[in-house]
Amino acid sequence: MKENELKSAQDEQDARLRERALLARAAPGDRLMLADATLLAALDGSRVLTPNERQALSASPLTLRRFRQLSLERQASARSPQAANDPVWSGSSGMLRAASSATALESLATDDGCWTLHFLPQGEGWQVILSLSAEAPFAARLLREHVMVRVIDGGGAIVLQGRLDSDGECECGWPFATAPARHFQMYGAGFAVEPVTP
Amino acid sequence: MRLPGTRYQEHGWEQVRKLLGHCSLQAFRRLEMHQILDAGQHAALLDCYTDAVAEALRAGARSARAEAEGNSYGDSVYELSLSLLFELQAQPGFWLAFAAAVAAEHARSGAFWLDAAADGVMRKKVNDMYAGLRDKVDADNYIVTTGRDCSPNKIYTYRMLDTAYREIAGLFADWRQHAEQVGAILGRAIEGSPIETRQMKSIGGCKPEWIVRWSESQERYAGSPGPLHTKSKRFASLKNSPDKIAAMLAEIGDYEELSANMDRADDWSGDAGEAALWLEDYWRVIGESEQGEARDEDRILPEPADDGEAGLSDDMPDDSSEGAAGPEPEFKAHDLAVEQSLAGALSLPPRYLELARAAQKAGSWALRILGGESLPIRLAVYQKLLGAADDTYPEAWLDPATGELPTLQQLAALDQISMPTLRKRRNEAIDKLYAANTAPAK
Repeated sequence: MKENELKSAQDEQDARLRERALLARAAPGDRLMLADATLLAALDGSRVLTPNERQALSASPLTLRRFRQLSLERQASARSPQAANDPVWSGSSGMLRAASSATALESLATDDGCWTLHFLPQGEGWQVILSLSAEAPFAARLLREHVMVRVIDGGGAIVLQGRLDSDGECECGWPFATAPARHFQMYGAGFAVEPVTP
Repeated sequence: MRLPGTRYQEHGWEQVRKLLGHCSLQAFRRLEMHQILDAGQHAALLDCYTDAVAEALRAGARSARAEAEGNSYGDSVYELSLSLLFELQAQPGFWLAFAAAVAAEHARSGAFWLDAAADGVMRKKVNDMYAGLRDKVDADNYIVTTGRDCSPNKIYTYRMLDTAYREIAGLFADWRQHAEQVGAILGRAIEGSPIETRQMKSIGGCKPEWIVRWSESQERYAGSPGPLHTKSKRFASLKNSPDKIAAMLAEIGDYEELSANMDRADDWSGDAGEAALWLEDYWRVIGESEQGEARDEDRILPEPADDGEAGLSDDMPDDSSEGAAGPEPEFKAHDLAVEQSLAGALSLPPRYLELARAAQKAGSWALRILGGESLPIRLAVYQKLLGAADDTYPEAWLDPATGELPTLQQLAALDQISMPTLRKRRNEAIDKLYAANTAPAK
C-alpha cells in the first residue's frame, strides 16, 4: 500500500468509528427532535441551529441518523449527472409568519418562493392546493416528470401527497380537524415540500 | 410487507426469529445465567450474551437456514439476525424486559434454564424480546428514511393490515368456496363472479371497508374474531376510521410498487466514504451554530402524541461495578519476549502485538483519544463498534487463521486480564469516544 492510500484508509477508519460512536449509542426514550425543514436549512446554511437545537441533535442518535440520510441524499443529488444542465430539487421549506395568524390563513409560501400552499374554505373544512411557481428553476423538470410530491407539517405528518398535474398543481381536502393556521402553529410553524422517493 | 427503511418485516422474519432463538438457547447454556436475577449484572450479562450469540451465529453461518433470503433487499437470515442482535445493545430496554420475565419465571419454577424440558418457555421469552425489538428498530428505520413519525405500534398495525389484505386476497382467489364470506366482505349478495375479486391486484386496491367487514365476519366464518373485533380492543378504534386504514393500505401499496426494482436497502454499514461525507456536514453545521450569533426561536419538535403504547422502560442501570471479576494482574507485559510467548500460545503470529501496534498511525483520531489504552483494549473497541471484520482493518490486526480480529478471549489473554475486566475497560474506552465526539473542539 502506498503512503497516501494508507492515510486514506486510516481516515476512513476514523470516520467509521466516529460515526458508530455517534449513532450506535443507547439513548433511552430517543425520538426525532428536529424536523426535516430545520435540518435542511442548517445543511444548506440558510438558518443555523440554535444552541438548544444543536444540543438536541448531538444527543439524539435517531435525529443524527435522519441528518445523515438528508446529508447523503443532498450530496448524491448534487453529484448526479443531471445537475450539470437541469437544476435538481431536493425539497423546499417554509414557515408560518406571525402576521398570517391574525386573519384566516389563505396561503403560505416556501422560503425559496418556488411553492405556494393555498387554503380554500369548503363546507365544514378546507381544500388545500399546492402550486409550483413557473419561475422555479426546476419547474420544467418536475412538470415533465410528473413527480410525486408531498407536503409535511413541522411534526412530519403528511398534509398532502400526490402527483403534480400539468399546471404544476396538486390538491386535496385538508386532512386535519384543526384549522390550517392553528394546526401549523401547533407543529412548530414549519412545513416542507419534498419529492417522494423510494 | 415492505415500508421505507424497514428490514425485518418480510417473509424471512420467521427464520430470523428461529435462528436467534436457537443460538440464544445455546448461549444460555454457557452463560452464568443466575446473574440475570441480579439487576446489577444485567449490563454485563448483556455483553456476554451478545458475544456468545454472535459466536453461535457465526459458527452456523453456512447452514441452509442462515443463508436463506431474509428480505427482498438481499439480506440473508444470518445477516438480519446478527444486525438485530447488535441493535439489542442500543435498545437495552428490551433486554431488561426479558430479564424481568426470566426472573418472574425463576420465582415460579427455579433455575428453569438448566432444564432442557423448559426450552420452550425460554424460547418464547426470547421470541417476545426480538419481536418487540424488530418493530422498534424498523419504526426508527422508517423515521430515518422518511422523516415522518412512526412507532412500534404503528408498524404492528401496518403488518396487521397487510396480513388482513393477504387473507382477503386468499378468499377472493377462492371465492366459490367462500362465497358467503366474500359476500359479507363486499357487503352484497354474490351473483355470478364478483368483479372486485379480479380487480384487486395489490394491497393498494383493497378497500378499507372490506378490511372492516372481513374482520367482522371472521368470528362467523373462521371461528375466532378478526383483529379489529377482538376483546383486547387493540385495533378497535380503527373500525371507525376507514380513512386511516385507506391511507395505510395505500402507503404499503405505493411503496411496494416503488421498491419492487430496488436491489438493496440502505443499510447502515454504508458505502466507503459515506461516513466521512456526512460527518463533514455535521461538523460544519455544529460549527456554524457555535459561531452563529443569531438567536432564533428554538424549533424543537414537540413530543408526539402517545399512541397508547405499553412502552418498555428504557433505562438501563448505569452499572460499572465489577462484581465477580477476577483479580487484576499486577504487571503489564511490555517485554516483547513475553508478548511473543502469549501470542504463540493463542496461535497468533509471534510478533502479532508488535506489528499490530505499528499498523495504527499516530495521527489517527481514535489513537489520540484512546492512546492511553492497551492495544488489545483498542482492538476490542473496534470489534464492538465496527465488527470483527471491516475493510479498513490493516492486515497486521487480523488473525491469519480467521481473517478477522482476534476474539475477545484472545484479546483478554493477550492483555493478561479477565474477560469481565476486558469488557469493562473496553466500555470505558467507548464512553471516552462518545464524550470526545459530542463535545467537538473543532
